[in-house]
Amino acid sequence: MKVKKLFRKTLFGVFSLFGMIGLSTSILCVYTVDTHLSEEYVTNSRGIAKTIADASVDILLNRDLSALQSLIDQFLEIQGIRYIYITDEAGEFLAHTFVPGIPEEIRTGGPIGGAAVERHLPGMGDFVEVGSPILAGVAGAVHVGMDTSLIALKIQRAIGQQIYLISMVFVVGVFAAIWFVNLAARPMGELLAYAVALARGEGDPSKAPVLERDDEAGQLARLFLHMSDNGSAGAPAGPP
Amino acid sequence: MLTRRLLMGAGLAVPWFRAIAAGEDATNRIPDDLQGVAAASSTGDAGVSDSEFLLGMSAAFSGPSRGLGIELHRGASACFEHVNRQGGVAGRRIRIRTYDDGYQPDPAVNNTMTLMLDDRVFLLFGYVGTPTVTRVLPMLKKFQDRGTYLFFPFTGAAPQREPPYGDFAFNLRASYAQETAGLVDNFVAVGRRRIAVFYQADAYGRSGWSGVRAALARHGETIAGEATYRRGTKFTSIMRSQVEILKKVDPEAVICIGSYAACAAFARDAVDLGLQVPMANLSFVGSENLLKLLLEAHEDAEPYTRLLVNSQVVPSYEDVTIPAVREYRDLMSRYDPQAPEELVKEPYTPFPHSFVSLEGFLDAKLLVEVLRRLGDSPSRQGLEAAVFSIKDYNLGIRERVSFGPERRQGLQGVYYTVVEDGRFVTLNDWGGRFS
Repeated sequence: MKVKKLFRKTLFGVFSLFGMIGLSTSILCVYTVDTHLSEEYVTNSRGIAKTIADASVDILLNRDLSALQSLIDQFLEIQGIRYIYITDEAGEFLAHTFVPGIPEEIRTGGPIGGAAVERHLPGMGDFVEVGSPILAGVAGAVHVGMDTSLIALKIQRAIGQQIYLISMVFVVGVFAAIWFVNLAARPMGELLAYAVALARGEGDPSKAPVLERDDEAGQLARLFLHMSDNGSAGAPAGPP
Repeated sequence: MLTRRLLMGAGLAVPWFRAIAAGEDATNRIPDDLQGVAAASSTGDAGVSDSEFLLGMSAAFSGPSRGLGIELHRGASACFEHVNRQGGVAGRRIRIRTYDDGYQPDPAVNNTMTLMLDDRVFLLFGYVGTPTVTRVLPMLKKFQDRGTYLFFPFTGAAPQREPPYGDFAFNLRASYAQETAGLVDNFVAVGRRRIAVFYQADAYGRSGWSGVRAALARHGETIAGEATYRRGTKFTSIMRSQVEILKKVDPEAVICIGSYAACAAFARDAVDLGLQVPMANLSFVGSENLLKLLLEAHEDAEPYTRLLVNSQVVPSYEDVTIPAVREYRDLMSRYDPQAPEELVKEPYTPFPHSFVSLEGFLDAKLLVEVLRRLGDSPSRQGLEAAVFSIKDYNLGIRERVSFGPERRQGLQGVYYTVVEDGRFVTLNDWGGRFS
């Protein structure tokens, strides 16, 4: 019974330890992935918006808008980019990738310069949008929207992988804990059996295997034997 | 991950970067079946031999727009087959090496690389679509030392008509700017000034949108409203969102810049949802395929078709008073050309006659004339001069064809058609029909 209680306490300790490790590393993971991915997305979006803005000058001044559309369509193939639109200096939409139409939230205006804004577009999701001026803004601006649900997906995936790893370690840990507890409990069990036999006067108390052990269980067994011998020697003689 | 995607995109260009970096001699890369063509060239140019001209074509033979590639190929094949049976051009047969791009830009780019670097065709011919052609044009500039020209693509977009890529293509058909300008002018003339646009969200749609915008600006108007759809949309798709967007602006006409499956779906849903205004489609739509879908959609399809008006860049194939139309009809029935079996994997029933196959026929007919003008020693270097020598040429339709350094588009005419008794007929009275 005492061994089982001991095991329960140990198991509880293992649970608590892994719980704390899992929780703390998950929080750290969410924070790290979210921060780094968000920064990377905004940085990439700015880079893409600037690239398109630089490439758009010649097209806007010299060529047909279909060439501009073809340009932004190619960037839309990059993972995470959900929409791109180009406005002229008066705010008119010259090219965009929205289907089935330009959302009202977008029509009301986009970020100025390289600032990043968070947008929620009904039916489409949540986005981080950055803008880049074309020809210092006198020819319009390019706006790139990155899908933040992809960040959430990556966070979920990272946490999932972490939980999987911790679960595997936990299962191994539980089995290891059981094995170690049993290992530690076995001499205690032998000692307990010896003490009971000694008390009942069963068998030869000086030939029990536990007396040969050189650990604490052996020392205790020898102490019990010694106390038992002393007790027998010092006791007043009873009636025959 | 972002970096990886960028690298994957750049990977499209790897084959020819690799070839260039390795200093690879192109003659080492000719497939066995084409060795004869390249090796036997009397002029040193690949793609032409003493017995053959080899042309390269990448077009949609699969997907929702496959009808365009198939019909264009059929029309051109009727002409080439006839010429080949007559002995070819100066003894050289004309053969088309054809690939399917499904109306998607990346396969079109890959096909073009194969045609130019592996098949080593004499010229490119009959490409279909704006998003595909606009992505192919930079390749022609990159390999301009090879002198490979793109002849008569099935698109009215501007990039292959203007710098920096206009020098690498020759166009026969009128532009989308001309088609949309004609539609807008006619709508405005009958009092329909609030014009909305339904268009494909890509370079083709933007080209048409741009044309409508410019034409309306000349009348002091702007686009009343716009709705888009994704390339590859099928007829079974629901266009409710697009129709509702346009209904809010209460348009007096809608100009559709799309492919037949999507435009038919839009016309169907617009009528079903109460948007009862004239709906115009450009020539690229593939009128017969559009009409077929609508006629099959309902037993009484008249409500879906009575408000349609389609612009065309070739005259009606029903007008047998036109010599080229008579020739086209005769050769189509005589040879019954079929698209390459290996490319057409989805069921498709060809039309006996169509605007698209007539355009393919006229494209091929003019190309034959260009090849004839190359003389006995045809070379790529002579192609531009041969095209520019075409002045006031009688192609067999009423409009004469002319080319020159400042004129890389042969025809300027735009025709308008409406549906009567389940077929497209020429529209002569806009006021009577739409006012």
